[in-house]
Amino acid sequence: MEYVNPLTGLRIDGRRPTEMRHLKAQIGVVSKADGSALFEMGNTRVIAAVYGPREVQNKGQQMNNTEALVRCEYSMANFSTGDRARKPKGDRRSTEISLVIRQTMEACILTKLMPRSQIDIFVQVLQADGGTRSACINAATLALADAGIPMRDIVTSCSAGYLCTMPLLDLNYAEDSAGGPDVTVGILAKMDKVTLLQMDAKLPLDTFETVMQLAIEGCKAIAQYIREIMLQNTKQLECRRGS
Amino acid sequence: METTQMTEGGGGGATGIAAQMEVEAFRRLFPLPFYKRHLLESVRPDARALDYARDTTISLGPVASADGSALVKIGETAMLAAIKLEVMTPSKERPDEGSIVVEFYMPPICSPMVRPGRPAEVAPVISKQLLDVIRSSGMVNLKELCLISGKASWIAYLDIYCLNADGSLFDAALLSAVAAFTHLQIPLVSVTEEGRVFTVSSEQEEKTKFELVNKEKRKLSLSSIPFPLTCVIHEDYILVDPTAEEETVMETSITLVLDTLGNLVSIYKPGGVGLASTEIMKECITRTKRRMQELKTILEESVSVMEVD
Repeated sequence: MEYVNPLTGLRIDGRRPTEMRHLKAQIGVVSKADGSALFEMGNTRVIAAVYGPREVQNKGQQMNNTEALVRCEYSMANFSTGDRARKPKGDRRSTEISLVIRQTMEACILTKLMPRSQIDIFVQVLQADGGTRSACINAATLALADAGIPMRDIVTSCSAGYLCTMPLLDLNYAEDSAGGPDVTVGILAKMDKVTLLQMDAKLPLDTFETVMQLAIEGCKAIAQYIREIMLQNTKQLECRRGS
Repeated sequence: METTQMTEGGGGGATGIAAQMEVEAFRRLFPLPFYKRHLLESVRPDARALDYARDTTISLGPVASADGSALVKIGETAMLAAIKLEVMTPSKERPDEGSIVVEFYMPPICSPMVRPGRPAEVAPVISKQLLDVIRSSGMVNLKELCLISGKASWIAYLDIYCLNADGSLFDAALLSAVAAFTHLQIPLVSVTEEGRVFTVSSEQEEKTKFELVNKEKRKLSLSSIPFPLTCVIHEDYILVDPTAEEETVMETSITLVLDTLGNLVSIYKPGGVGLASTEIMKECITRTKRRMQELKTILEESVSVMEVD
């Protein structure tokens, strides 16, 4: 199947190989949560809600008294994918992604400032079209910022792949299930450090470097967008406060 | 945040330290006196009158991958409903009918009370209430969900997700279910030689000649549509469309469902300290009738907005 048309150089959804899908974000969608955000990458739509810092619920889980406990749960809505038959959470993929998101966010939250407390990050996928992991991390970053939790830097994530001898940025579901390699990268934007790196399928080393660089460029573009959204949000809050 | 002092005035309630305290702290520590002060003025903390419901919006078709979907917001409470149709073999006793499966989820994002490992107590209750109301109202004629009599029919999986829980959960859930059924379009279907039924998307239909079982995509014809209203009762006051805070503070709640033909579909008053006399019941029914007209208009508007697109 031609994932990149040889004549026009366009992908199946009309994008160029290094073009990302349309991004859209909204802060403060869940009023009951301390912080929340809706993040869309093309057709992938994800809601993240942050509750915390609050009292530790399960004292057994609390590892030490000097840091906050970060918990994350990832779940997909029944109607989020093409076929309905799925167990929304508790299955292996959801547990793995929950772990990945938790550890990625732990790298950037200043947990030492909030000892003996707990920060819960809940992510719900409403529509899945590839790149759900990245969309969840981006939504979680915005939700944490909305909750006012101190962070080292903003974490953004993007995926890239390699099909028909071309590195492609931000794969959708069709391209992801084509069987080619899929590299997901999460970086701390300003510090320019990689916190998440996952890859499956085979890639020669120099191609891998190109694909990873492409994914990092994508992450930086998302970071730019996230900063704009946060700035807009702060201006709105300032307006409402009347200053 | 304001730092107005609540001084001891008429209306009873706490004395001493409550006399000099910030509003928010008073609200948390002494919720009942806080509400009593408001009820005496016939108003609620969010400046609504006692018989006014919050702003309700319905938007159809937010989930593109589902056969029918709707997003409903009553104030801050938000519900997302989606229907996916699958083919199944009907039962022998009812070979001409399809079936509906309703599932209601409260994921942890919706409320600080819900945590993984400790699911919300009300979720299965609302799930059962929804199923009962949808079945008993007869809104969906199950015979319309039939494909080939005795061999194939549709099973409609209705999944409702609560995205923000701020009171009146059943109202918003039922409204989103009704809106999703209004938006539902039954896809085109064809049969293979082995007798397996599969759905045909509109692009495929033009390219190849499948023998179609149903000639056109159609919507369900819904008869009497049920509309709900939840009220909370506190002593002699009736508050319509409570927020989550009001639901926890007040004595008891009562949910009424009326349909467009004027029949009473369901009454639900699950115990509670407050007792509902006949007058209170009649008052609630009047309020529900009014609310039903409002909701009917809002639903019709959202359908026409979608058809214009």
